[in-house]
Amino acid sequence: MPHLSASRREALNFYLCISPWLAGLLIFVLGPMLVSLGISFTRWDLLSPPRFVGLRNYERMLGDPLFWQSLKVTAIYTMLYVPTELVGGLALALLMNQRVPGIAVFRTIFYLPSVISGVAFVVVWMWIFHPEAGLLNLALAQVGIDGPRWLTDPHTALSALWMMSLWGLGRAAVIYLAGLKGVPKELHEAAIIDGANAWQAFRHVTIPLITPTIFFNLVLSLIATFQTFTSAFVATNGGPLDSTLFFVLYLYRQAFERFSMGYAAALAWVLLLIILALTLLVVRSSDRWVYYEGARR
Amino acid sequence: MQRPLLQHASFAILLTTLASILAACSGAANSPPPAPVERTVVVERTVVVAQTVEVPREVVVTPTAAPQAADAKIVLRVGTGDSGEGLTPHLTIIEQFEKENPDIQVQLEPVGSGDYYARILTQIAAGDPPDILQIGDDAVPNFVSKGAFVDLAPFIASNENPLDTGIYLPGVLEPGQWEGKQYLLPKDFSPLAVYYNKKLFDQYKIPYPTDGWTWDDFLQTAQALTKDTNGDGKTDVWGVQLPGPWTTGFEYWVAAAGGRLISEDGTTFTGYLDSPETATAVQFYADLYHKYKVAPPPADLNAFGGGNSEFDSGKAALRLFGRWPQSGLKTNPNIDLGVVGPPVGAKRANVLFWGGFGISAISKHQDAAWRFLRYYVGAQGAEVWKDWALPTVKSVAEASGQASDPIEGVWIGELNHLAPRAYVSTPYWGATADPALRKVLEQVIIDPNTDVAAALKTAAADAQAAMADQQ
Repeated sequence: MPHLSASRREALNFYLCISPWLAGLLIFVLGPMLVSLGISFTRWDLLSPPRFVGLRNYERMLGDPLFWQSLKVTAIYTMLYVPTELVGGLALALLMNQRVPGIAVFRTIFYLPSVISGVAFVVVWMWIFHPEAGLLNLALAQVGIDGPRWLTDPHTALSALWMMSLWGLGRAAVIYLAGLKGVPKELHEAAIIDGANAWQAFRHVTIPLITPTIFFNLVLSLIATFQTFTSAFVATNGGPLDSTLFFVLYLYRQAFERFSMGYAAALAWVLLLIILALTLLVVRSSDRWVYYEGARR
Repeated sequence: MQRPLLQHASFAILLTTLASILAACSGAANSPPPAPVERTVVVERTVVVAQTVEVPREVVVTPTAAPQAADAKIVLRVGTGDSGEGLTPHLTIIEQFEKENPDIQVQLEPVGSGDYYARILTQIAAGDPPDILQIGDDAVPNFVSKGAFVDLAPFIASNENPLDTGIYLPGVLEPGQWEGKQYLLPKDFSPLAVYYNKKLFDQYKIPYPTDGWTWDDFLQTAQALTKDTNGDGKTDVWGVQLPGPWTTGFEYWVAAAGGRLISEDGTTFTGYLDSPETATAVQFYADLYHKYKVAPPPADLNAFGGGNSEFDSGKAALRLFGRWPQSGLKTNPNIDLGVVGPPVGAKRANVLFWGGFGISAISKHQDAAWRFLRYYVGAQGAEVWKDWALPTVKSVAEASGQASDPIEGVWIGELNHLAPRAYVSTPYWGATADPALRKVLEQVIIDPNTDVAAALKTAAADAQAAMADQQ
């Protein structure tokens, strides 16, 4: 073995250790991504060989009403869901941060839905939303309300999916909880001694200190919401009247129902660019509102 | 002291890493990974493993791995979208065939749920599809026009293993044809019919529907059997359970109104999808829901057939559907089952749902595949299928008594009234007019005030534009 300097050896160890991840990235992520970029410039139905069509797939989106519809549905849902997850998740985390007996049990209960597989979870909710026999409408009937037809009504279907998704708030809450645990007690106590009330202490001490957590959750939530698929695929299949046609569902349909692989690949790249742009926007704005202790600029 | 410790530490990390590589490798074989590109290979393995478990008597050998000895068996692979119970007839036929043909081993490769076509398409793209593939009716034009199947004519007419195509019931060969050539042969089929619950008819003293009844009779029967039994202003017993926005089933209504959804040459929707006949059909269908209120609103627009359970629970008198749920309905204690052909509109019409088998154009064992296919879809195969679905072979249907059975005979008799399905003249039906028609049906079911003519005009224009995009 040739004599290696300590730093070379360290570098070698580093690459050896991350090699499984690196190999996975190259073979299963970057490789297919490059192939998909290539496919996006072709017309390919898997049966006949791909045919190069230049930018035609991208041009086609401009005149495709379902492309715009799926973008609209996804954007509306993102605007509904991301704020609820930020506020709701934080509220839940504050509750989970109380020092009461058995709090660990409550934390587990709130986190539990996040562990359940997406499809099982959606199927349960489909029963809850069933227009005649569903729990929700039966409950509403008890108080004299004739409940809507939820998943079979284009006006309520997207809201129903949104309500369904709130069940997963525990995931965000656990990350907030970690953030809250990192807030030093002394700062909070100092603020109270200085005459701040509980709200002021929360607003001016706790919130600034957990902005890095909020930032992290915001980015994750934004990316995940733009990729919403399971709930719409299982519960509504994009309907009724395309009112829950999420972008990724439309992409899937083009790829695996219509077998327009080229168009589907082009859609995937547009989605990547949209998510990238939004994420960059959030990252850029973070200078203004995210506070890192000891990292003054 | 410090340095060796560090080395130990990194060695331990390395070991852990290697272990995790191994873990990752073995894990990948069990769970389908997200990227479609690698999916072909991995899913293949999973299925073959599942196959070994389900059919222990079969030794699974991939064709390429088979020894090249002179007496080596030919291994045929059969792809099917059937699953669960539905695999039993396949396996029974395979077992019988292997006994009679010791030189051939048949390996069934089932893919359940909606992933079947995606799976075989990726297999074809990778150059390694099963030798025999099962395809559903509306997928035939797409697969065949792209060259996925071989023309069966030379095999059917061969001296060694000919097939008499005259053995089949009327109308069951045509769905396997494209541009006049036979590419697939029939596995099973179902037309539409109307189930009725004699219990409700007896209770309200309404005569049973009879063959040749009309849309008017249908409506009157449904109205007579729509009841608010407890006087709370809500319907408790419904006249008819309809299959919601199910487009293929809806083709019956259009054909019975005297219309068709696409021009005969398979290029044009305007003037067909938005014709007065189509509008009549859509309007009547919508009126059953909204004007006459004889049909319960769909519980799940997304479910096959509308997701309603009124007929099953004895709360609907009629149900228009295919034969698929029949065995369950026969044993359902809420139901005393009768079956009658769909009502006659301007014309008598029905539509056929169909599954069949063909031989892959890139199969390396086409002659062996034909020997099995001939058995699979011939009289011997039909003897097995008849216990699971309607047999396609006339003599089998007659010998089993199914052709003259008061229920099964109705389904078989409906074969004499088939109208061509819309997909038969174009590979693009599913990508063009089908979604447009579905949207119209959802619209009229959801919104009672839909302007049917205008909605159809939009649908025809959308479908036509989508068609232009396909060329």
